[in-house]
Amino acid sequence: MGIVIAVISGKGGVGKTTATANLGLGIAINEKKCVVVDFDIGQRNLDMILGLENRVVYDMVQVMEGEASLKQALIKSKVNENLHFLAASQTRDKSVLDSDKVQKLVAELKEEFDFVILDAPAGIESGYEHTIEFADAAIVVVNPEVSSIRDADRAIGILDSKSFKVKNGEEVAKYLIINRIVADMVESGEMLRSEDILEILNIKLLGKVPEDKGVIDASNQGKPVVLDKKSIAGQAYMRIAGRLCGKKVDMKNIEVSDDGLFKKLAGIFK
Amino acid sequence: MFGFFKKKKSASVAKDRLTIAIMSDRDRTNGYPFMDEMKAEIMEVVQKYVGVRGVEIRKEIDGDMEALAIDVELDKNR
Repeated sequence: MGIVIAVISGKGGVGKTTATANLGLGIAINEKKCVVVDFDIGQRNLDMILGLENRVVYDMVQVMEGEASLKQALIKSKVNENLHFLAASQTRDKSVLDSDKVQKLVAELKEEFDFVILDAPAGIESGYEHTIEFADAAIVVVNPEVSSIRDADRAIGILDSKSFKVKNGEEVAKYLIINRIVADMVESGEMLRSEDILEILNIKLLGKVPEDKGVIDASNQGKPVVLDKKSIAGQAYMRIAGRLCGKKVDMKNIEVSDDGLFKKLAGIFK
Repeated sequence: MFGFFKKKKSASVAKDRLTIAIMSDRDRTNGYPFMDEMKAEIMEVVQKYVGVRGVEIRKEIDGDMEALAIDVELDKNR
């Protein structure tokens, strides 16, 4: 029986889909069976980031409506056989989602996979509520920037009141990923530090991801950035995936900019 | 040496502004977790004496003052 994790953010454009794709592949590389599901009905995106857009035949709405079987709709990744993908519907409206159908789909996926990762739509409307409803845990993605953090707090508030687990007196685990950190700016006091963000949101840290041009380059090609061993964001996502798989991975301080310099120096003596 | 005259770093301004904005967001949206239960109990009490159609509770914040505004809509037919 697997664990269901919703990836949420409140605000759009903070890297939620990129995080979902890279954590999914990172988990698969750690030899756990993982499925990533795009819950952004009407705005399918995860397929592009994973490079699987040409392989989508059936989507998750068709599975929920009984028009296709789960087996027919699941797409196996080309780069790692542990990773599977279930596409969002591109033509339907989010109003097709209903709690019973979502619960059934999630339960079926949980039977088959170690990790079920749901990519939530931006915003805090019904599509978002359905994504978090049956999740065991949530990963909140923020950028170190005021609007992202404020919107994340609203999304967390809804998670804390609408989750099935919370309604049944249990707790839903929440972890934070801070994405697009620029070390020089943190050092010069122009960007919020991770400690401050954790304090404001009152949440545990899962990982920090630095700003990295390689992320766009990777999405251009449909190859998640964890495949690029030299990418600092890719390395950050691999560390987070390791933590999710129960490995003890130390929190790297990416908020110090001379780390790159130190690496260069270390390289000379290799 | 001109450090004394420098204005506050923008990250700490962000932290202060966020802390206040989020605090007021939380108050406005969450109310109290026991709101529904309290609604049901108020309804039960009033119903002993007069017919009730519905109860609405809002948390209102005005500066430092916090208040609960309770609206009880009566059922004229009873």
